[in-house]
Amino acid sequence: MSRNLAERKFNRNWKGILLFLLPAFVLYGLFFIYPIFTVIFTSLTDWSNFRTMHFAGFKNYSNLFKNPTFLKAIRNNFIWAFVLAFVQVPIAMTMALVLARKPKGWKLFRTVYFLPTVISGSALAMMWKAVYNPTNGVLNAILGIFSANNGTNWLGDMNTALVAVIVQQVFYFGYFMVIIFASRLGIDDTMYEAAMIDGANVWQQEIHVTLPMLKPVLITAITLAMAYGFRHFESTYLLTGGGPNHVTETMGTFLYTKLSSAKWAEGNSIGTTIILLGGIMISVIRSVLSREK
Amino acid sequence: MNTTKKLGPVDILAKFFKWFFLIFFLLFMILPLVWILISSFKTNLEFNIKSPFALPEVWQFSNYRNAFSISNLPRMFLHSIIVAIVTTALNLVVAAMSAFALSREKFRGNNLILTFLLSGVLIPIIALMVPIMKINNFLHLYDTLGALILTYTAINLPTSIFLVHGFMSTIPKELEESATIDGCSFLQRFTKIIFPLTKPGLVTAGTLVFIYCWNEFTYAMILTISEKARTIQLGIKYFQTEFSIDYTGMLAAIVITMLPTIIVYTFMHDKIISGMTAGAVKG
Repeated sequence: MSRNLAERKFNRNWKGILLFLLPAFVLYGLFFIYPIFTVIFTSLTDWSNFRTMHFAGFKNYSNLFKNPTFLKAIRNNFIWAFVLAFVQVPIAMTMALVLARKPKGWKLFRTVYFLPTVISGSALAMMWKAVYNPTNGVLNAILGIFSANNGTNWLGDMNTALVAVIVQQVFYFGYFMVIIFASRLGIDDTMYEAAMIDGANVWQQEIHVTLPMLKPVLITAITLAMAYGFRHFESTYLLTGGGPNHVTETMGTFLYTKLSSAKWAEGNSIGTTIILLGGIMISVIRSVLSREK
Repeated sequence: MNTTKKLGPVDILAKFFKWFFLIFFLLFMILPLVWILISSFKTNLEFNIKSPFALPEVWQFSNYRNAFSISNLPRMFLHSIIVAIVTTALNLVVAAMSAFALSREKFRGNNLILTFLLSGVLIPIIALMVPIMKINNFLHLYDTLGALILTYTAINLPTSIFLVHGFMSTIPKELEESATIDGCSFLQRFTKIIFPLTKPGLVTAGTLVFIYCWNEFTYAMILTISEKARTIQLGIKYFQTEFSIDYTGMLAAIVITMLPTIIVYTFMHDKIISGMTAGAVKG
């Protein structure tokens, strides 16, 4: 009797399980699986709005890697990835460690540092466009106080544009900070007490107790930062559109120009490059980091 | 720090730098926001001629009225709200269903499917611009709110499934077992027992999805062409042309687009921060 019930339940559940997984599978199929295969396979064709699809081998790729604009875009994606991973994450970690010692007002600091993460990137980009404005922007006005206002057109000048776009993003470290902070609070207080009894000062505690314990979360943060670097699109698109003269171009903005001119196959060859290059860099960094220290 | 020890010069210097950076970053996050908030109340003449640090002579609330009338802001606002609410609901139902099937039923391949579903976060969505646009074309959704709703629902599934699955796994099995004996079906166990108990997990996941939908720009741009389906973030792109002669009106419009998430964040920051923290741990 009881075995009967169990069997019936088992049989009935299979239908339920499949039915419950179906919506997710359909959406994954439509928006992840099918697109990935399309991106990879059609990148080997000459598909665009103007011609039917023919196999074209690696022509798109050879053109792409001969194109100086695209090479600039790749270089910029590497700059983004490394600045986010090795400037933003260390800042985030430092601030997380400072806040974990619970200085006065630490909750306020944490909440405010995280605030930009919930505001739309497009609104923040427009705000920074106003800040960087050469004639009535607040940045040049602040520099004016120190009589250093040279009327720099931060986003329009080829020498400053990339730095300007990166700076407005790199100090928004709140996301990585809260991840690291949560992990830091997970460390048992007794470890610090033991270190203190052994005569370790605050610095030694952080270096010998905190850092080794934070290694997994730091690897996660660096991986995510790398991934964001290769995916970067929005604020560059809104602040400079990849200009002036392509100095801020990224693979994302370049892909978007291909999409706008209906060059689907060329666009997809960029998409494939983003997927592959990002994937390779992330696995390289992960294997290097998890081996060391 | 440690008050029992005497402070050496290094400690004093460290303390100075600690507070210097704490306050520097605080100002970095806040001041630009305060600056555009104040500037959004100025006349264009004031904004262009007077010092950027000055307060408005008369607070121009009319900028906000103009922002609403010039850029069709109310309609875009409505679109954003519809997209965010419907996407959140749809995403949570789909995520909760698959999380239920995977967390409450142990079967062969269970972990494999979960890993597959969660690995969706690793995909750089930006690389899939062309096919995602084509799919929405194919479904006759291009330039409709439906395109945004379906796409955002899918994009947010990996995170939501992770959060909801994690939460569901903590609900004790005994509750369902007794319900099964009482004659509850698979569906009833989900709707009557597990779904209500998962509420805190759903609130966290739902908040993240809602914020994502409200803030999303790139796919809103790729999947729409006309005002028929334009959301507020996309509207920002057109502010510059629409407000070409009314710069401070544009700043007012930007403030309006920022406000909803700032308000939500003010009331729910702890929940949002812990949700985003949990969402990242899977790496």
